[in-house]
Amino acid sequence: MPLARSDTRERLLMGLASLIVPLALWEAIPRIVALPRGIKLFLATPSQIAVALAGLLTSGELQQHFTVSALEFLIGLGLSIAVGLPLGMLLGSVRWLDDLFDPFVTALNATPRIVWLPLLILWLGLGIWSKVMIVFLGAVFPLLVNTYEGVRNSDRVLANVVRSFGGSGWQVTRIVVLPGALPYVVAGLRLAIGRAILGVVVGEFFGASRGLGYMIASAASSYRPDVMFAGVLVLMALSLALTFSVQAVEARLTRWRPEAAKTF
Amino acid sequence: MAARRLVLGTLSVVAFVVTWQVVLSLIRWDPFFMTTPWLIATAVREQILGGRLWHDMAVSAEAFAVGFALAIVVGIPVGLVMGWRRRAAYALDPLLSALYASPLIALAPLVIITAGVGMGARALLVFLLAVFPFVFNTYAGVRCTDQLLVSVVRSFGGTDRDLYLKVILPSVVPYVVAAARLAIGRGLIGVLVGEFYAASEGLGFAISRFGDTYRLPEMFSGILVLAVVAVGLTSVVRRLEAVVAPWRAGQR
Repeated sequence: MPLARSDTRERLLMGLASLIVPLALWEAIPRIVALPRGIKLFLATPSQIAVALAGLLTSGELQQHFTVSALEFLIGLGLSIAVGLPLGMLLGSVRWLDDLFDPFVTALNATPRIVWLPLLILWLGLGIWSKVMIVFLGAVFPLLVNTYEGVRNSDRVLANVVRSFGGSGWQVTRIVVLPGALPYVVAGLRLAIGRAILGVVVGEFFGASRGLGYMIASAASSYRPDVMFAGVLVLMALSLALTFSVQAVEARLTRWRPEAAKTF
Repeated sequence: MAARRLVLGTLSVVAFVVTWQVVLSLIRWDPFFMTTPWLIATAVREQILGGRLWHDMAVSAEAFAVGFALAIVVGIPVGLVMGWRRRAAYALDPLLSALYASPLIALAPLVIITAGVGMGARALLVFLLAVFPFVFNTYAGVRCTDQLLVSVVRSFGGTDRDLYLKVILPSVVPYVVAAARLAIGRGLIGVLVGEFYAASEGLGFAISRFGDTYRLPEMFSGILVLAVVAVGLTSVVRRLEAVVAPWRAGQR
């Protein structure tokens, strides 16, 4: 539905209100109503969370945990790009390899990769590498599958044009297939980022002594809801920033696509 | 072509399993860190006969089913309202998009500490993860409703009720089925994380306990069962998708 211009202001106001009103209520209700002690143990008001966040920042604790998590995220995501893109292109263009790999890709992709965490901890220990691997496993499949789809859906007519003018196989790949697959790859990257963050967090819940996930889990089990929410907030902010910047790139690359196609 | 895919796929799985078995029968290996397909198969058989597996599956399935049903019951109406009432969309879209894009699994410790280690906490986790695909796909489905059909119903004096039942719902169905596919994956993560974190039964608990106690064949059998369930659920939804939205059937 096309939006009239006068709508944008209303839209902005309503959107802001929907973010601010719940926050204000969250802050106000515990001050007005006497909540039972049991609930207070698990809840921190936005102001308490802000104080905790400031404390974590000044003590440097947050930066320490963040560095570990970021390292796991970057290495894992880097590996998954290095494996997912070439493998996706290969499976997308070589039919028999696709047939051979299909059961593995389908089964691994359908099963939550978190299930490998106990095994990875057993194999790789509690250091960063078990988390790097779980990030890799989570992020590699969206990249692989999307690259695969991008290559498979490349424009046959354009490829034939390049061939008719004497283009080589490599030129077809470079001129037609790669640019055609790019929007798919970027969409895959957006999904991969989400999976990677999930992997970091869950991995650090169970087998770690450092990282944002560890910080959240240990704060929760020592009844520090303010620290826990501060950690959740930092994670949310990071993943929103990453997701929306990739989405912006995606929107630019897929301007020509109709709205309906973008929603999936 | 489909036959060739089946043959080659089966062949590669068989080759993988046989190689695994053969290589491990030739070299010395540490049973704390490795296991063979044969031992895994034996463990699967024992667990199926022993009944523990069925119990764990039933426990996990219950939490999954309750959370998933809740996600459908809440997600679809919210999506419908967002799609059909512009103000509702303006108010909810930023908040819900932010929640959808953020790693809600980070709330797992809070959910489990507040709601306890029972089924309820895990169902709540499943719900939290699975509800957003339903909201946003339903929303998209309503927005992609054919405006011409809406006009036709209006011209013939149709009420809002007619619009909902005759135009909007049918156009939303394929989107909802696509949402179910996404939600299954997210919901399974919820069950697993919940059971890894704090539980005394369930498939996720079994897998992590066997891992902690170095019983690799049993752990792999749990993973295998989960994979079978996940692939089964996903392919059922894919079949359904092929029926209600044939133009999307080729994607995986």
